[in-house]
Amino acid sequence: MKKLLSIMLILVMTVSLFAGCKSETSTKEDNKTSAKDNKAEEESKEPKANESENKVAGELEGEITFWHSFTQGPRLEVIQATADKFMEENPKVNITIETFSWGDFYTKWTTGLASGNVPDMSTALPGHAVEMMDADALVSVDDLIDDIGRDKFSEAALSEGKKDGVCYSLPLYSHAQVMWYRKDLLESAGLEVPTTWAELAEAAKALTKDGVYGCSFPCGSGDMMATRFLNYYVRSGGGSLLKEGLKADFTSDLAIDGINFWVDIYKNCSPQDSVNYGVLDQANLYYQGKTAFDFNSGFQISGVKANSPDLVDQIDCAPLPKINADDPDYGAETSNIPMVVWANSKHPEICKAFIEKLYEPETYTKFLAATPVGMLPAITGISDTETYQSNPTVQKFENAEKVIEKAVTLGTAIGFEHGPSVQAGLLTSQGVLEEMFQKIITNGEDVEKAAQEAEDKMNEIFSSVQ
Amino acid sequence: MKRKVKFDYARWVFVLPALVVVGTLLVYPIFSSLYYSMTTKHLIKPAYKFIGLANYKAVLTDANFFKAFLASILWTVGSLIGQIFIGFTTALAINRVKVAKGVYRTLMIIPWAFPSIVIALSWKWILNGVSGFLPNLLVQLGICSTLPQFLSDSSMVFVTLILINIWFGAPMIMVNVLSALQTIPRDQYEAAQIDGASRFQQFHHITVPHIKVVVGLLVVLRTIWIFNNFDLIYLITGGGPAQLTQTVPIYAYNMGWGTKLLGKSSAVTILLLLFLLLISLVYFGIIAKWEKEDK
Repeated sequence: MKKLLSIMLILVMTVSLFAGCKSETSTKEDNKTSAKDNKAEEESKEPKANESENKVAGELEGEITFWHSFTQGPRLEVIQATADKFMEENPKVNITIETFSWGDFYTKWTTGLASGNVPDMSTALPGHAVEMMDADALVSVDDLIDDIGRDKFSEAALSEGKKDGVCYSLPLYSHAQVMWYRKDLLESAGLEVPTTWAELAEAAKALTKDGVYGCSFPCGSGDMMATRFLNYYVRSGGGSLLKEGLKADFTSDLAIDGINFWVDIYKNCSPQDSVNYGVLDQANLYYQGKTAFDFNSGFQISGVKANSPDLVDQIDCAPLPKINADDPDYGAETSNIPMVVWANSKHPEICKAFIEKLYEPETYTKFLAATPVGMLPAITGISDTETYQSNPTVQKFENAEKVIEKAVTLGTAIGFEHGPSVQAGLLTSQGVLEEMFQKIITNGEDVEKAAQEAEDKMNEIFSSVQ
Repeated sequence: MKRKVKFDYARWVFVLPALVVVGTLLVYPIFSSLYYSMTTKHLIKPAYKFIGLANYKAVLTDANFFKAFLASILWTVGSLIGQIFIGFTTALAINRVKVAKGVYRTLMIIPWAFPSIVIALSWKWILNGVSGFLPNLLVQLGICSTLPQFLSDSSMVFVTLILINIWFGAPMIMVNVLSALQTIPRDQYEAAQIDGASRFQQFHHITVPHIKVVVGLLVVLRTIWIFNNFDLIYLITGGGPAQLTQTVPIYAYNMGWGTKLLGKSSAVTILLLLFLLLISLVYFGIIAKWEKEDK
């Protein structure tokens, strides 16, 4: 009897252990439910009058998860409102939206890929999209592009998500890196807007006083800012951080000049702490009026507006400096932020229908207006509409928009000068150049030796994916 | 007549859930790490092959691994000594407090109650080299002529991190030592006083023997936790600048999640596990000897 009781107890405890696991899983899933679930619950209490209507052939049905990196309030709200509207129009669809910063997003999808724990659809960075394509993690979106209108997209932007002639991503919006400056500080110092790197260094040094830094140079190891800044310089001389054959090129004369230029800026006009800065630390300095020059896209406007509204009238942007004033115009870094549909998705048709919804003129204009001038349209027929042009920020920063628009057409994602490649993605995600700058700045390592070591390390990483 | 030995099922009933949990959450990850450490496993790419001990060879010939290992040792020893010293002296002080002992104890435990992310962001904000409260205060008080760069100056960053870790971990030592102090019978101190023992003699011959096993266990646990600590350093400096604060867990993370070389990263974690097992065995040997002496 005692033996029987013991066996029964073992069984009960084991079952309850698994039951515990099950209930936890359910709780997790419950936490993820959106407002749609509450609505569905309410509807289920109603007489099932609409059920027959819902069973229309071809009607969308299913649940999808959408990961995006629009962490700022207004963009998040527009996406959520669009999802709510889509679910209202498609009652059998449930969209769960999860938001991650770009850094977290990268960690999440790379670790989730092996276990299948990836979303149905997501945003991405151009470099991410190439890695996703390389891992066969995406489905073709050619049909979606055709539905929206292939001719509306720029060929260059579409090619960033193309592999073997098939498009695996489509750009949602575009922006490009330009030089931001403080008009009031330049005016009071009697300085012109710099057009060359030498002029920039001179102006930045002159403006480093009274608690203001001329120009911060960020090289925190957890971000890609030093790579971005070195890329500006190298692109301005017509070079690239990748050479033909997709090998790293950090030891060219141009790259060495660029490294020396930024080390000089760091030593003379940057806060010492910027050796640890990531993108937000860097931007915050400009937002708070603590730097005279910075490099960013049109997102700079909303940042300054939110942090120092008094400074909004004092900021503007100009093309990135050149090595010689008569060098040709160039664009160093254009970002066409793509949308992708994952191969793991059970409902790619819902994802594509929802993405198409995002490109409807009314929705799309609202989305862009969440960060005016920060996000430029990736399709034609939007920027010249009255609704788009009537936005006060677009009107106020007309010059900035023109500068950025031109830079968008001239540039590519970092390392994409030779076409989309996994190597280009790795160039920005490994922190190799950031570490190199830190060693030069903190340990006083010789520039050429540090550049050679960084180049070797990068090429070793490249070889791991071949 | 031979008596039949009854098998006691009841005890197994109670330990079975724990065995299942340990088996799932501990044994499986360890063995999968051990296996992956001998393969070319990549975080994204599905195909990989068995390469024996090549990953171990690569790690053990990497100068950065040994730099990270040295940083881990310094981080652990510095943090541990500081935490034990502060925690121990605070516990002795609070043990002598007669009024509102609970209030002091609660106040002292506050740092331990914060999640790592809050601690990291708070300290980053306090120590920010441009707008941080502490650097600006030091300049305003005239103690420093320029803003001290606690998190970017190569001579200060590691010490700063250790001090933050001491601030964070000392309360845990304090609470445990205080509990142990409160179990010491008062009459032993009274008898010692009658015999004319000095305060130091009372501490040496009564206090220390009573709490040394507790402190020993704390040292074992804290050594493992501090050595394995990842979040605090990663969130504050990310292992930088110039790898000055890169400890072995951060080295392993960068290897697995940065370069995505999961096989190599697993080899690092297995080496870490072996080292900590060795340290734990030494510690437990010492504690067992103390317990034997007490008996």
